[in-house]
Amino acid sequence: MLSIDALYLIFFTTGFTVGFGHCIGMCGPLVVSFSLNLKGKNIFVSHGFYNAGRILTYAVLGGLMGVAGSFTAVSAKIVGLQQGAMIATGVLIIVMGLAMNEGLPFGKYFRRENPAGGIFARGFRKLSTIESAYAYFPIGLLLGLLPCGPVYTALIAAAGTGIEAPNALYGFLSGAGLMIVFGLGTVPALILVAKLAGLGWLTSRRLIYQLGSILMILVGVVYIVRGFRS
Amino acid sequence: MNLLRVDLALKSQTACLERFQFILKASFFFLLFTIALPGIHVPDVDAAESQINCSIHDGACSLSLPGFEVTLDIRPKPVKAMHDLVFSVSFSGGEPDGAPYIDLGMPGMKMGPNRVILEKISRTVYRGKGVIVRCPSGRRTWKATVTVPSRGKADFIFDVVY
Repeated sequence: MLSIDALYLIFFTTGFTVGFGHCIGMCGPLVVSFSLNLKGKNIFVSHGFYNAGRILTYAVLGGLMGVAGSFTAVSAKIVGLQQGAMIATGVLIIVMGLAMNEGLPFGKYFRRENPAGGIFARGFRKLSTIESAYAYFPIGLLLGLLPCGPVYTALIAAAGTGIEAPNALYGFLSGAGLMIVFGLGTVPALILVAKLAGLGWLTSRRLIYQLGSILMILVGVVYIVRGFRS
Repeated sequence: MNLLRVDLALKSQTACLERFQFILKASFFFLLFTIALPGIHVPDVDAAESQINCSIHDGACSLSLPGFEVTLDIRPKPVKAMHDLVFSVSFSGGEPDGAPYIDLGMPGMKMGPNRVILEKISRTVYRGKGVIVRCPSGRRTWKATVTVPSRGKADFIFDVVY
Protein backbone atom coordinates (compact mmCIF):
# COMPACT_ATOMS: atom_id res chain seq x y z
CA MET A 1 0.00 0.00 0.00
CA LEU A 2 1.05 3.62 -0.57
CA SER A 3 2.35 5.72 2.32
CA ILE A 4 0.16 8.50 3.73
CA ASP A 5 2.53 11.15 2.31
CA ALA A 6 2.27 9.66 -1.18
CA LEU A 7 -1.53 9.47 -0.87
CA TYR A 8 -1.70 13.12 0.18
CA LEU A 9 0.39 14.16 -2.81
CA ILE A 10 -1.72 12.05 -5.18
CA PHE A 11 -4.98 13.49 -3.87
CA PHE A 12 -3.72 17.08 -3.86
CA THR A 13 -2.82 16.60 -7.53
CA THR A 14 -6.17 14.89 -8.12
CA GLY A 15 -7.98 17.83 -6.52
CA PHE A 16 -6.05 20.23 -8.73
CA THR A 17 -6.76 18.35 -11.96
CA VAL A 18 -10.42 17.50 -11.31
CA GLY A 19 -10.83 21.10 -10.13
CA PHE A 20 -10.30 22.33 -13.67
CA GLY A 21 -12.75 19.75 -15.08
CA HIS A 22 -15.28 18.19 -12.81
CA CYS A 23 -15.45 20.89 -10.08
CA ILE A 24 -15.94 23.72 -12.56
CA GLY A 25 -18.90 21.74 -13.89
CA MET A 26 -20.35 20.94 -10.48
CA CYS A 27 -19.48 23.97 -8.33
CA GLY A 28 -18.95 26.45 -11.18
CA PRO A 29 -22.58 27.62 -11.28
CA LEU A 30 -22.48 28.26 -7.52
CA VAL A 31 -19.22 30.14 -7.70
CA VAL A 32 -20.43 32.23 -10.66
CA SER A 33 -23.67 32.96 -8.79
CA PHE A 34 -21.79 34.09 -5.69
CA SER A 35 -19.56 36.32 -7.79
CA LEU A 36 -22.60 37.86 -9.46
CA ASN A 37 -24.20 38.36 -6.04
CA LEU A 38 -21.09 40.19 -4.83
CA LYS A 39 -21.63 42.65 -7.70
CA GLY A 40 -18.04 43.51 -8.44
CA LYS A 41 -16.77 43.61 -4.82
CA ASN A 42 -13.52 41.92 -3.87
CA ILE A 43 -14.25 38.23 -4.33
CA PHE A 44 -11.18 36.77 -2.64
CA VAL A 45 -12.27 37.10 0.99
CA SER A 46 -15.83 35.83 0.38
CA HIS A 47 -14.70 32.94 -1.80
CA GLY A 48 -11.91 32.22 0.67
CA PHE A 49 -14.52 31.76 3.40
CA TYR A 50 -16.69 29.65 1.06
CA ASN A 51 -13.77 27.35 0.25
CA ALA A 52 -12.73 27.16 3.91
CA GLY A 53 -16.26 26.01 4.85
CA ARG A 54 -16.33 23.49 2.01
CA ILE A 55 -12.94 22.04 2.96
CA LEU A 56 -13.92 21.84 6.65
CA THR A 57 -16.95 19.72 5.68
CA TYR A 58 -14.70 17.52 3.53
CA ALA A 59 -12.33 17.16 6.51
CA VAL A 60 -15.10 16.10 8.88
CA LEU A 61 -16.45 13.59 6.35
CA GLY A 62 -12.92 12.27 5.72
CA GLY A 63 -12.33 11.99 9.47
CA LEU A 64 -15.55 10.02 9.93
CA MET A 65 -14.58 7.73 7.04
CA GLY A 66 -11.15 7.27 8.64
CA VAL A 67 -12.68 6.33 12.00
CA ALA A 68 -15.21 3.94 10.45
CA GLY A 69 -12.70 2.51 7.98
CA SER A 70 -15.62 2.09 5.60
CA PHE A 71 -16.89 4.34 2.84
CA THR A 72 -20.27 2.69 2.37
CA ALA A 73 -21.15 2.62 6.09
CA VAL A 74 -20.79 6.41 6.42
CA SER A 75 -22.06 7.39 2.96
CA ALA A 76 -25.32 5.48 3.53
CA LYS A 77 -25.98 7.68 6.56
CA ILE A 78 -25.39 11.02 4.81
CA VAL A 79 -27.48 10.44 1.67
CA GLY A 80 -30.41 12.41 3.12
CA LEU A 81 -28.13 15.30 4.14
CA GLN A 82 -26.66 15.40 0.64
CA GLN A 83 -30.11 15.50 -0.97
CA GLY A 84 -31.06 18.34 1.39
CA ALA A 85 -27.86 20.22 0.52
CA MET A 86 -28.58 19.87 -3.21
CA ILE A 87 -32.13 21.20 -2.83
CA ALA A 88 -31.05 24.02 -0.48
CA THR A 89 -28.35 25.03 -2.97
CA GLY A 90 -30.93 25.17 -5.76
CA VAL A 91 -33.22 27.38 -3.65
CA LEU A 92 -30.31 29.66 -2.71
CA ILE A 93 -29.28 30.16 -6.35
CA ILE A 94 -32.89 30.81 -7.46
CA VAL A 95 -33.40 33.39 -4.70
CA MET A 96 -30.14 35.13 -5.63
CA GLY A 97 -31.16 35.09 -9.30
CA LEU A 98 -34.62 36.52 -8.58
CA ALA A 99 -33.19 39.29 -6.42
CA MET A 100 -30.74 40.27 -9.14
CA ASN A 101 -33.25 40.89 -11.92
CA GLU A 102 -35.63 43.79 -11.52
CA GLY A 103 -37.72 42.65 -14.46
CA LEU A 104 -38.63 39.24 -13.10
CA PRO A 105 -41.86 38.57 -11.22
CA PHE A 106 -41.40 37.93 -7.48
CA GLY A 107 -37.90 39.41 -7.72
CA LYS A 108 -38.94 42.46 -5.68
CA TYR A 109 -39.68 40.26 -2.65
CA PHE A 110 -36.03 39.30 -2.42
CA ARG A 111 -34.43 42.70 -2.84
CA ARG A 112 -33.11 44.84 -0.02
CA GLU A 113 -35.38 47.82 -0.74
CA ASN A 114 -38.53 45.71 -0.34
CA PRO A 115 -40.30 46.85 2.83
CA ALA A 116 -42.42 43.67 3.13
CA GLY A 117 -42.23 42.01 6.52
CA GLY A 118 -42.81 38.44 7.62
CA ILE A 119 -40.38 35.69 8.46
CA PHE A 120 -40.10 34.30 4.93
CA ALA A 121 -39.72 37.66 3.21
CA ARG A 122 -37.06 38.77 5.69
CA GLY A 123 -35.25 35.42 5.57
CA PHE A 124 -35.12 35.21 1.79
CA ARG A 125 -34.09 38.84 1.56
CA LYS A 126 -31.15 38.21 3.86
CA LEU A 127 -30.24 35.15 1.80
CA SER A 128 -30.35 37.00 -1.50
CA THR A 129 -28.45 40.06 -0.35
CA ILE A 130 -25.60 38.36 1.47
CA GLU A 131 -23.02 41.04 2.06
CA SER A 132 -20.83 39.81 4.87
CA ALA A 133 -17.88 37.73 3.69
CA TYR A 134 -18.27 35.57 6.81
CA ALA A 135 -21.71 34.45 5.58
CA TYR A 136 -19.99 32.47 2.85
CA PHE A 137 -18.39 30.20 5.46
CA PRO A 138 -21.63 28.45 6.56
CA ILE A 139 -22.66 28.31 2.90
CA GLY A 140 -19.40 26.48 2.18
CA LEU A 141 -20.06 24.14 5.10
CA LEU A 142 -23.44 23.22 3.61
CA LEU A 143 -22.25 22.97 0.02
CA GLY A 144 -19.36 20.72 1.02
CA LEU A 145 -22.05 18.06 1.36
CA LEU A 146 -23.00 18.22 -2.33
CA PRO A 147 -22.69 14.78 -3.91
CA CYS A 148 -19.72 14.67 -6.28
CA GLY A 149 -17.90 11.73 -7.89
CA PRO A 150 -14.28 12.82 -7.25
CA VAL A 151 -15.16 13.73 -3.62
CA TYR A 152 -16.56 10.22 -3.18
CA THR A 153 -13.37 8.78 -4.65
CA ALA A 154 -11.24 10.79 -2.21
CA LEU A 155 -13.51 9.64 0.64
CA ILE A 156 -12.91 6.00 -0.36
CA ALA A 157 -9.18 6.67 0.03
CA ALA A 158 -9.85 8.43 3.37
CA ALA A 159 -11.70 5.32 4.56
CA GLY A 160 -8.74 3.25 3.33
CA THR A 161 -6.34 5.20 5.55
CA GLY A 162 -8.58 4.36 8.52
CA ILE A 163 -8.37 0.63 7.87
CA GLU A 164 -4.63 0.75 8.45
CA ALA A 165 -4.76 3.23 11.34
CA PRO A 166 -3.57 1.97 14.74
CA ASN A 167 -6.35 3.83 16.58
CA ALA A 168 -9.50 5.91 15.98
CA LEU A 169 -7.75 9.27 16.50
CA TYR A 170 -5.09 8.45 13.92
CA GLY A 171 -7.83 7.21 11.59
CA PHE A 172 -9.74 10.48 11.99
CA LEU A 173 -6.67 12.65 11.46
CA SER A 174 -5.37 10.75 8.45
CA GLY A 175 -8.81 10.69 6.77
CA ALA A 176 -9.39 14.38 7.52
CA GLY A 177 -5.88 15.30 6.33
CA LEU A 178 -6.40 13.53 3.03
CA MET A 179 -9.66 15.38 2.40
CA ILE A 180 -8.06 18.72 3.35
CA VAL A 181 -5.26 18.33 0.79
CA PHE A 182 -7.81 17.17 -1.82
CA GLY A 183 -10.01 20.20 -1.08
CA LEU A 184 -7.03 22.58 -1.23
CA GLY A 185 -6.18 21.16 -4.64
CA THR A 186 -9.62 22.14 -5.97
CA VAL A 187 -9.39 25.76 -4.76
CA PRO A 188 -7.31 27.33 -7.61
CA ALA A 189 -9.83 26.34 -10.29
CA LEU A 190 -12.80 27.65 -8.34
CA ILE A 191 -11.07 30.92 -7.41
CA LEU A 192 -10.16 31.40 -11.07
CA VAL A 193 -13.79 30.91 -12.14
CA ALA A 194 -14.93 33.25 -9.35
CA LYS A 195 -12.47 35.92 -10.48
CA LEU A 196 -13.44 35.60 -14.15
CA ALA A 197 -17.12 35.87 -13.25
CA GLY A 198 -16.41 38.68 -10.78
CA LEU A 199 -17.33 41.23 -13.44
CA GLY A 200 -14.61 43.65 -12.44
CA TRP A 201 -13.50 43.58 -16.06
CA LEU A 202 -16.90 44.33 -17.54
CA THR A 203 -17.79 47.92 -18.32
CA SER A 204 -21.58 47.50 -18.47
CA ARG A 205 -23.03 45.09 -15.93
CA ARG A 206 -26.78 45.63 -16.06
CA LEU A 207 -27.37 43.30 -19.02
CA ILE A 208 -25.06 40.69 -17.52
CA TYR A 209 -26.98 40.71 -14.24
CA GLN A 210 -30.30 40.38 -16.03
CA LEU A 211 -29.27 37.50 -18.30
CA GLY A 212 -27.08 35.94 -15.61
CA SER A 213 -30.03 35.89 -13.21
CA ILE A 214 -32.08 33.82 -15.68
CA LEU A 215 -29.23 31.34 -16.04
CA MET A 216 -28.94 31.19 -12.25
CA ILE A 217 -32.64 30.35 -11.92
CA LEU A 218 -32.26 27.56 -14.51
CA VAL A 219 -29.23 26.19 -12.67
CA GLY A 220 -31.16 26.34 -9.38
CA VAL A 221 -34.03 24.34 -10.89
CA VAL A 222 -31.54 21.71 -12.16
CA TYR A 223 -30.07 21.39 -8.66
CA ILE A 224 -33.51 20.99 -7.05
CA VAL A 225 -34.60 18.36 -9.61
CA ARG A 226 -31.33 16.45 -9.07
CA GLY A 227 -31.77 16.71 -5.32
CA PHE A 228 -35.19 15.08 -5.50
CA ARG A 229 -34.10 12.48 -8.04
CA SER A 230 -30.90 11.38 -6.29
CA MET B 1 -14.62 72.04 -39.11
CA ASN B 2 -12.15 69.36 -40.12
CA LEU B 3 -10.97 69.02 -36.55
CA LEU B 4 -14.56 68.52 -35.40
CA ARG B 5 -15.08 65.81 -38.02
CA VAL B 6 -11.91 64.01 -36.92
CA ASP B 7 -13.02 64.29 -33.29
CA LEU B 8 -16.46 62.88 -34.11
CA ALA B 9 -14.96 60.03 -36.14
CA LEU B 10 -12.59 59.20 -33.30
CA LYS B 11 -15.42 59.21 -30.76
CA SER B 12 -17.49 56.97 -33.02
CA GLN B 13 -14.58 54.59 -33.47
CA THR B 14 -13.93 54.49 -29.70
CA ALA B 15 -17.61 53.80 -28.97
CA CYS B 16 -17.63 51.04 -31.59
CA LEU B 17 -14.47 49.52 -30.11
CA GLU B 18 -15.92 49.67 -26.56
CA ARG B 19 -19.11 48.00 -27.78
CA PHE B 20 -17.08 45.28 -29.48
CA GLN B 21 -15.01 44.75 -26.32
CA PHE B 22 -18.17 44.52 -24.23
CA ILE B 23 -19.74 41.96 -26.58
CA LEU B 24 -16.52 39.96 -26.54
CA LYS B 25 -16.27 40.00 -22.75
CA ALA B 26 -19.97 39.30 -22.25
CA SER B 27 -19.76 36.36 -24.68
CA PHE B 28 -16.82 34.99 -22.74
CA PHE B 29 -18.75 35.36 -19.47
CA PHE B 30 -21.79 33.49 -20.77
CA LEU B 31 -19.57 30.83 -22.28
CA LEU B 32 -18.05 30.38 -18.83
CA PHE B 33 -21.50 30.11 -17.23
CA THR B 34 -22.74 27.71 -19.90
CA ILE B 35 -19.71 25.46 -19.48
CA ALA B 36 -20.40 25.50 -15.78
CA LEU B 37 -24.06 24.58 -16.17
CA PRO B 38 -24.42 21.19 -14.54
CA GLY B 39 -25.17 18.49 -17.05
CA ILE B 40 -24.01 20.41 -20.11
CA HIS B 41 -20.35 19.84 -19.28
CA VAL B 42 -20.89 16.09 -19.06
CA PRO B 43 -19.32 14.31 -22.03
CA ASP B 44 -21.70 12.72 -24.50
CA VAL B 45 -23.69 10.06 -22.66
CA ASP B 46 -24.51 8.17 -25.87
CA ALA B 47 -20.80 8.01 -26.76
CA ALA B 48 -20.03 6.44 -23.37
CA GLU B 49 -22.91 3.97 -23.67
CA SER B 50 -21.82 2.90 -27.15
CA GLN B 51 -18.51 1.72 -25.66
CA ILE B 52 -20.21 -0.83 -23.38
CA ASN B 53 -18.62 -4.23 -23.95
CA CYS B 54 -19.76 -6.08 -20.85
CA SER B 55 -23.15 -7.00 -19.38
CA ILE B 56 -21.89 -7.34 -15.83
CA HIS B 57 -25.36 -7.87 -14.32
CA ASP B 58 -25.81 -11.04 -16.36
CA GLY B 59 -22.49 -12.64 -15.45
CA ALA B 60 -18.72 -12.49 -15.86
CA CYS B 61 -17.15 -10.80 -18.91
CA SER B 62 -14.03 -11.86 -20.80
CA LEU B 63 -11.49 -9.99 -22.92
CA SER B 64 -8.32 -11.20 -24.64
CA LEU B 65 -4.81 -10.07 -23.83
CA PRO B 66 -1.68 -11.38 -25.56
CA GLY B 67 -1.20 -14.93 -24.33
CA PHE B 68 -4.39 -15.42 -22.34
CA GLU B 69 -7.98 -14.46 -21.66
CA VAL B 70 -8.97 -12.19 -18.73
CA THR B 71 -12.33 -12.64 -17.06
CA LEU B 72 -13.87 -10.06 -14.71
CA ASP B 73 -16.76 -10.70 -12.38
CA ILE B 74 -18.32 -8.35 -9.83
CA ARG B 75 -20.64 -9.45 -7.04
CA PRO B 76 -23.27 -9.10 -5.64
CA LYS B 77 -25.56 -8.66 -8.61
CA PRO B 78 -27.05 -6.46 -9.85
CA VAL B 79 -23.91 -4.36 -9.55
CA LYS B 80 -24.90 -1.26 -7.57
CA ALA B 81 -23.02 1.99 -7.06
CA MET B 82 -22.23 3.03 -3.46
CA HIS B 83 -22.22 -0.57 -2.26
CA ASP B 84 -19.34 -2.83 -1.20
CA LEU B 85 -18.45 -5.02 -4.17
CA VAL B 86 -16.17 -8.01 -4.64
CA PHE B 87 -14.14 -7.98 -7.84
CA SER B 88 -12.77 -11.26 -9.20
CA VAL B 89 -10.26 -11.54 -12.02
CA SER B 90 -9.39 -14.93 -13.47
CA PHE B 91 -7.11 -16.00 -16.30
CA SER B 92 -7.34 -18.83 -18.80
CA GLY B 93 -4.66 -19.97 -21.21
CA GLY B 94 -1.83 -18.71 -19.02
CA GLU B 95 -0.79 -17.15 -15.72
CA PRO B 96 0.02 -13.50 -15.00
CA ASP B 97 3.58 -12.52 -14.09
CA GLY B 98 2.43 -10.45 -11.11
CA ALA B 99 -0.71 -9.50 -9.21
CA PRO B 100 -3.17 -7.63 -11.41
CA TYR B 101 -5.14 -4.61 -10.18
CA ILE B 102 -8.28 -2.75 -11.26
CA ASP B 103 -8.70 0.99 -11.81
CA LEU B 104 -12.30 2.20 -11.72
CA GLY B 105 -13.39 5.26 -13.66
CA MET B 106 -15.94 6.66 -16.07
CA PRO B 107 -15.29 6.83 -19.82
CA GLY B 108 -14.35 10.39 -20.70
CA MET B 109 -14.61 11.80 -17.18
CA LYS B 110 -11.97 12.22 -14.48
CA MET B 111 -13.23 10.77 -11.21
CA GLY B 112 -9.96 10.51 -9.30
CA PRO B 113 -7.90 7.40 -8.58
CA ASN B 114 -10.04 4.49 -7.39
CA ARG B 115 -7.92 1.33 -7.40
CA VAL B 116 -9.00 -2.14 -6.34
CA ILE B 117 -6.06 -4.14 -5.00
CA LEU B 118 -6.43 -7.84 -5.80
CA GLU B 119 -5.17 -10.69 -3.68
CA LYS B 120 -4.08 -14.03 -5.05
CA ILE B 121 -6.65 -16.76 -4.41
CA SER B 122 -5.08 -19.35 -6.70
CA ARG B 123 -2.58 -19.33 -9.57
CA THR B 124 -5.17 -17.93 -11.96
CA VAL B 125 -7.73 -16.25 -9.69
CA TYR B 126 -7.40 -12.87 -7.90
CA ARG B 127 -9.98 -11.12 -5.75
CA GLY B 128 -10.44 -7.73 -4.05
CA LYS B 129 -13.00 -5.34 -2.58
CA GLY B 130 -13.99 -1.97 -3.97
CA VAL B 131 -16.76 0.58 -4.43
CA ILE B 132 -18.13 2.15 -7.60
CA VAL B 133 -19.32 5.64 -6.71
CA ARG B 134 -22.41 7.41 -7.90
CA CYS B 135 -22.07 10.25 -10.41
CA PRO B 136 -24.61 13.03 -9.69
CA SER B 137 -24.82 13.73 -13.44
CA GLY B 138 -26.88 10.53 -13.70
CA ARG B 139 -24.40 8.73 -15.94
CA ARG B 140 -24.19 5.02 -15.15
CA THR B 141 -21.52 3.78 -17.53
CA TRP B 142 -18.34 2.75 -15.74
CA LYS B 143 -15.01 1.35 -16.80
CA ALA B 144 -12.93 -1.22 -14.94
CA THR B 145 -9.40 -1.33 -16.32
CA VAL B 146 -7.66 -4.56 -15.38
CA THR B 147 -3.89 -4.08 -15.53
CA VAL B 148 -1.80 -7.22 -15.80
CA PRO B 149 1.88 -6.41 -15.17
CA SER B 150 4.04 -6.81 -18.28
CA ARG B 151 1.05 -8.12 -20.28
CA GLY B 152 -1.21 -5.10 -20.81
CA LYS B 153 -4.60 -3.72 -19.88
CA ALA B 154 -8.18 -4.82 -20.51
CA ASP B 155 -11.02 -2.24 -20.38
CA PHE B 156 -14.36 -3.63 -19.24
CA ILE B 157 -17.11 -1.06 -19.82
CA PHE B 158 -20.53 -1.66 -18.27
CA ASP B 159 -23.58 -0.04 -16.74
CA VAL B 160 -24.20 -0.02 -13.01
CA VAL B 161 -27.43 0.36 -11.06
CA TYR B 162 -28.02 3.51 -8.97
